[in-house]
Amino acid sequence: MIVLEGVSKSFDGGQSYAVRELSLHVNDGETLVLLGSSGCGKTTTLKMINRLIEPTSGTIHVDGQDVTKQDPAVLRRTIGYVFQGIGLFPHYRVTQNVEIVPRLVGWPANKRRRRVREVLELVGLPPDEFSGRFPDELSGGQQQRIGVARALAADPKYLLMDEPFGALDAITRDSLQQELKSLSKSLGKTTVFVTHDIFEALTLADRIAVMHDGRLQQVDTPQKVLTDPASPFVRELFEKPARQLAAFQGGD
Amino acid sequence: MGAVWLQTVANWLNFAAERMPELWFLTGQHLVLTGVSTGLAIAIGLPFGILASTRQWLRATVLGSIGVFQTVPSLAMLAILLALVGKIGAVPAIIALTIYALLPIVRNTVTGIEGVPPEVVEAARGIGMTRLQQLIKVQLPLAMPVIIAGIRTAAVVGVGIATLSAFIGAGGLGQFINRGLALSNMQLILLGALPAALLAMLVDGVIAATAWGMEPVRQRDKHSLKVRLKPVALVMPLLLVALGMYAAFGSSLIAANHPGKTIRIGSKNFTEQLILGELMAQMIEAHTDLVVDRRFNLGGTMICHEALAAGEIDLYAEYTGTGLVTVLKRPVESDANSVFNMVRTEYKKQFNLEWLEPFGFNNTYALTVRKSDARDKVWQTISDLATSADTLRAGFTAEFSERADGYPGVRKAYGFGFAKVHDLEPSLMYQAVANGEVDVICAFTTDGRIAAYDLQPLDDNRRFFPPYFAAPVIRSDFLQHHFEVRGVLARLAGVLDDKTMQRLNFEVDEKGRHPDEVARDFLRKQGLLNRN
Repeated sequence: MIVLEGVSKSFDGGQSYAVRELSLHVNDGETLVLLGSSGCGKTTTLKMINRLIEPTSGTIHVDGQDVTKQDPAVLRRTIGYVFQGIGLFPHYRVTQNVEIVPRLVGWPANKRRRRVREVLELVGLPPDEFSGRFPDELSGGQQQRIGVARALAADPKYLLMDEPFGALDAITRDSLQQELKSLSKSLGKTTVFVTHDIFEALTLADRIAVMHDGRLQQVDTPQKVLTDPASPFVRELFEKPARQLAAFQGGD
Repeated sequence: MGAVWLQTVANWLNFAAERMPELWFLTGQHLVLTGVSTGLAIAIGLPFGILASTRQWLRATVLGSIGVFQTVPSLAMLAILLALVGKIGAVPAIIALTIYALLPIVRNTVTGIEGVPPEVVEAARGIGMTRLQQLIKVQLPLAMPVIIAGIRTAAVVGVGIATLSAFIGAGGLGQFINRGLALSNMQLILLGALPAALLAMLVDGVIAATAWGMEPVRQRDKHSLKVRLKPVALVMPLLLVALGMYAAFGSSLIAANHPGKTIRIGSKNFTEQLILGELMAQMIEAHTDLVVDRRFNLGGTMICHEALAAGEIDLYAEYTGTGLVTVLKRPVESDANSVFNMVRTEYKKQFNLEWLEPFGFNNTYALTVRKSDARDKVWQTISDLATSADTLRAGFTAEFSERADGYPGVRKAYGFGFAKVHDLEPSLMYQAVANGEVDVICAFTTDGRIAAYDLQPLDDNRRFFPPYFAAPVIRSDFLQHHFEVRGVLARLAGVLDDKTMQRLNFEVDEKGRHPDEVARDFLRKQGLLNRN
């Protein structure tokens, strides 16, 4: 379980807040989507969980332990992270990219080798074909599959995903979303997923946390967020695409 | 036209072939100088570059201070290091080369590390790499192409600057260039310059090939021919290093060491100094058991003096006026005897060095005009120029234009200046006055070209120019152990008057003969090589 309590973050010494008084918990095995427009504080929130950003005030517990009490590097190795910019290491082959965290935590070589094959199959890339390639020998979709495989490699209990499919084309994005959905069901990872894409949120989320201007607006199941919005902002957020869709279908 | 050109090339190739063993040896020395200094610069520069990339203020400080070193002119740097290290030879040369190689390496390390895409660095951080792991596993490997570019720049610049190391007796291809410049011998200059240029290209190519060899193989190129060449590329730098070491240290040209039995004779880098060096060397070889180690062509007064004072050489020929003004920093004086006595006592007191009996000639400055002009206008003394000075064009060396005992002093002493003053290379000066491009030059009284170009030195009627009598200067310590040297060098006392020295210089400068040959002929004719 991930628990955030009264978390605030200011980058300018208290003049303005990127995240303000945010309290939230992520249950074991669930996928929680942080949804909001850019600048709403969702990525900042995500990065505070593995201490890429330190909170100004408030506490964050992962697995019952205060994150600020742990060595940040050690903490991050226990939490899989998929990056917005993919962030594969261009000088590493696929194998080296995927096995990096197991290597950091000191798995023996044969265990690492087995695991690389396993996760590559999991993300749908045949190991024999792909393990020797460099990132620039892969398509965008394949690269992000490797990104996911890298995050899964050390079999972490927690996954943080920061708009991982933002840079992909619509078709690739859609298929990756579907695969991720079934994957997280079968693997039972506790996942925090950041996006500004409402349909992506509705597709993947067990629960959606809507953020606006650094504040949490509502945390609920997709169904409840749609039918019972807690604030005018949330209603407006979901109504607009619904209207657009209706108008589009009406004009057909 | 074409045939002449071909003949020139053929002549040069012959010339080069004759000097092959020496060329091979000096190329090896050159490679070792460049290789050691570039290696040191990598070892020092990489950590500094990494450190500088971590903090903004460090970056400014480190790059700034290394940049300052870079602006010190190479010769000045060598002279400063010589004074600091107290040695001539490879040590100060390697330090200087290392300092020059630092900037491109440090700067490219910083640039390379900063150029790593931020999302890659964030990924490294985000998956749990420590600061050190980020650096070693991600930032440095990705910065490597830029860093290697910096190393290439450093090495190529190093090959170039290493030619100057010959000035402080560190050897290398600069020795040919130096000797060539001293003797105005284009063939010799080219024998140093061409191989140095080729060496620069070779070194650049080898480093580039090594970098290519280290790049990982892409899946798609796995079976191409290029891939099979990679191990070859990786062996190339080892070959180059081995070649350099072999040429530099395996050569038979290195004199066997006889500790205590060797005399190291230095000289500055111009014709007269080479002849004087040879005269002393051959006399010592003929009349003592000492083995002579010739450390000729050192780059100027201060370098010779520092080397002598530090015990890196044992003997060289110095001029009384130079000792007084340049070394002892005393004001100009015109009485020959008092100058000699002054340098003799002060050298003994300050440096424990001994001035022996002068050779006889006085190589001072002389304002010099065309003989025809002197005849037509009845010029005999410098004062005779006063009335027409405002129409005369002068051609002076840059040094003469500036020195207190040069043009500024002449103006003060004689109360007139010339209409125009051109800065000219010493070798061009004589031609310029002979061709009528200038009217007055600052000739050296022993320069063979005075006679050759039909020139007339004017009498220094106000006794302005200080005396520059040449004499052997030797370490007192050395003389104590080898007192026989004093007697041998005493036989050279007074044997060279101005005219004789002019003639010997002329033989080398204009007839292209070797200083050692000219010196031997002279000694033979004087019967100085005979045992008495």
